[in-house]
Amino acid sequence: MHEFTVTSWIVDALLDLVRKQSASRIVEVELRIGKLRALSMDQLKFCYEVLSKGTVLEGSTLVFEESPGKARCKNCGYNSEFDPDGDEYHYGLPILACPACNSTVVVEGGDECVITKVRMEIPSSPERTVRG
Amino acid sequence: MASPSQVVTASQGEVFDIELEIDILKENRRIAEENRKRLDAKKIMAIDVMGSVGSGKTSLLKVMTRKLKGTYRICVIEGDVTTTIDSDLIASEGVPAIQVNTGKECHLDANLIKKALDRMPLDNLNLIFIENVGNLICPAEFPLGSEKRLVVISVTEGPYMVLKHPMMFFDADVVAVNKIDLAEAMEVDPQKLIADIAHINPKTVAVATSCKTNVGIGEVIEAIGLNPP
Repeated sequence: MHEFTVTSWIVDALLDLVRKQSASRIVEVELRIGKLRALSMDQLKFCYEVLSKGTVLEGSTLVFEESPGKARCKNCGYNSEFDPDGDEYHYGLPILACPACNSTVVVEGGDECVITKVRMEIPSSPERTVRG
Repeated sequence: MASPSQVVTASQGEVFDIELEIDILKENRRIAEENRKRLDAKKIMAIDVMGSVGSGKTSLLKVMTRKLKGTYRICVIEGDVTTTIDSDLIASEGVPAIQVNTGKECHLDANLIKKALDRMPLDNLNLIFIENVGNLICPAEFPLGSEKRLVVISVTEGPYMVLKHPMMFFDADVVAVNKIDLAEAMEVDPQKLIADIAHINPKTVAVATSCKTNVGIGEVIEAIGLNPP
């Protein structure tokens, strides 16, 4: 349900970028979403379709890259990526108990939601330089 | 005859790829940090209270504020989709409460808390409870600026609720396993729920509570780091 909020923030950030770059259309948007972030990609896509209607974002596609969870144990030095959806990690459950020494691990990745690349159409002039 | 100098023009509607790093959740985090600084400056401790619909968050806050209101100057922020039922319940304890209604959202965010803080007499407070909308998934995604996080679950949610919602316990400092007066009727063992919590997050303190019989309320208060009277 909170995908609606997050998508509205994504749309705001993109419209801001469109203004800065004087873009006429957004073609594709790449996002990096952490596996520990409770965001459903299907729902993000659906909300994006709804929220982008009538803007220069309409018709653009969202492309997702999932980043894995990362855990580190300060006690024993255990350091590993994990997949909260997979069976191989900690009995298939995302838990904070270190699999090596049972003290508490620190989550160091997998909680991001970042726009990493935007493909946009810019009515061009030869002197134009494009910066992110 | 010299040839005309060449002019390079880009075709209309050229497509560019721009690589960047726009953190979508940064703004909420920034406002949450601002809230935290504002609270710290006034020496106010803020505590998130989160959990399912009907787990007993407001009932627990009622009995906790009853015990604490002699020691602390308290205000409660009540987050709900609609109605002022919860803030009215807290106000009936003689503790000021502000209702924040999200309308359609399933969680509070840092900006809503900022607005609530604007309306609160911060100079006269040293303890704020922020009760989030009843929900086990969304509130965990949006930090508000509080110092501690109390999660309230109950035996009426069944024996597997902790295992099914591990994320909610990642950032929990204290978990109240509530309604233990109903444990037998529900055939749910509160100790099993507490063991599940310890398995998911060994750092969190889980306490069996009942707002009806007042069991565990003092322990929750102590575990949060508040001084019981």
